[in-house]
Amino acid sequence: VIPCASPLSSELLVDYWAGDLPPRDEEGVEEHLFGCASCTAGSARVAAITETLRAMIPPVVTRAALDRFRARGLRVYESTFAPGERREAHFGRDLDLLIFRLGGVDLSRATRVQLSMRDEATGATLVKLGDAPFDAEAGAVLLCCQRHFASLPPDVVVELRVDEPRGEAVTSYTILHRFD
Amino acid sequence: LEWPTRSASEIAWSATAACYFARLVELDRNASDAQLVRAIAASGNGAREAEAELCRRFAPRIRLYGLRHLRDEDLARDLVQAVLLGVLEAARGGRVKDPERIDRFMLGACRNQATRARETGLRAQPLQAQHDTAAPEIEHLDLGGLMLCLAKLDERARQVVLLSFNEERSAVEVAARLQTTAGNARVLRHRAVAALRRCLDASAEASS
Repeated sequence: VIPCASPLSSELLVDYWAGDLPPRDEEGVEEHLFGCASCTAGSARVAAITETLRAMIPPVVTRAALDRFRARGLRVYESTFAPGERREAHFGRDLDLLIFRLGGVDLSRATRVQLSMRDEATGATLVKLGDAPFDAEAGAVLLCCQRHFASLPPDVVVELRVDEPRGEAVTSYTILHRFD
Repeated sequence: LEWPTRSASEIAWSATAACYFARLVELDRNASDAQLVRAIAASGNGAREAEAELCRRFAPRIRLYGLRHLRDEDLARDLVQAVLLGVLEAARGGRVKDPERIDRFMLGACRNQATRARETGLRAQPLQAQHDTAAPEIEHLDLGGLMLCLAKLDERARQVVLLSFNEERSAVEVAARLQTTAGNARVLRHRAVAALRRCLDASAEASS
C-alpha cells in the first residue's frame, strides 16, 4: 500500500464512523478514501471497533430491549439470582441469550446502579458499568450473558453498588457459567 | 453510468468470475488506476488482469462505504458486486470518460447504488454470490476481548463509546449526558476508540 502524503486523522475517521460529520466534510472524507488505499486501511481499523460496538448487545439490558430481542427471534432464557447466591448456570446450545435477573434489592430510591463483574479466581475485572440500567419497580438488574462470554473466566462475582439518598448498598452474586 | 439489466444471478456470476479468474494471472501491480481502466477499455492482453487488479484495489473501499451507509454486512457485500460489475462494464464499453478520476466514478456509482438499495429495500445480489473473493471480510473482533478492553477504560471513556456507537448518540447528545461540550465528547470518543484499538492489538499479539 502506497503511504498517503496527507493522511486523514484518526479523529476525523472516528467522527466519520460515528456519523457525526457535516455532509460536506463527510463527502470530502469519502472522496479521499476512494483515492487512497492507505487511509482506507486506517478507516477499516476504526470501523472494526465502531461497527462491533454498534452491533454488540450490552452486558446489562433493559426489559424493553429484552422484549425487542425476543421479537427479533433471539432465544432467551431468564434465571433469577438472589443476593449472596452462588450456583451454576448452564448456557445451552439452544440459547442465544441467558438473562440473569439479579434481584432481591430495593431499587425504589436508587439514583444510580454500578455493576462490576470479576473473575472469582483472580479478582480481575471483566465488566464494569458505572451507570447500569435497572428496573426500579421490579427491583432487578438484567445481566445479559452471551455466547462469547465463553471466552471469559467461567466463575464470576457480580457486584451491584446501589446509590441512594441515604448512602450506598452493595450486593453480590456468584455465577458459575457452564457453556454446552 | 447505466446499470446492467441482466438477472441478479448472471450479474453476480459475471462479477465474481471476472474478479476471481483474472487474479490467477500475473499483473504489474504498479500500474495506476487510470492505466488499468485504459487496459480494460482496450480489451487486449492483460484486460482480465487489469479488471482483477481494479477489483482488488476498490473492493475494500466499496465495502466500507456500504457498511457506513447501509449498516449491514450482507448489503455491503452486495454493493461491492453491484458497483464493481457496473464499473467494469462501463470500462469495457469505454464509457469511463476520465480514467484519471476512476476513484470518483466508483464513489458516484456507490452513492447511486446505495441510494437505490435504501429506497427499494431490495438486495442487489443473491446470497449465493457472497463468497466473492473481491469482497474481503472486515476484521472480526473477539467480542470477549473487546469486553475486557472496555472494562479497562475509565468510566467516562466507556460511557462515551457505548453511548456513541451502541446507543447511536451524536457528540452533542453524549456531551449533554456527560455534562461537557460536544468538542470534548469528540476528543474523549477518539481517545477511547484509539485505546480500544491498542488494547485489542496488544492482546492479539500476546496470543499469537
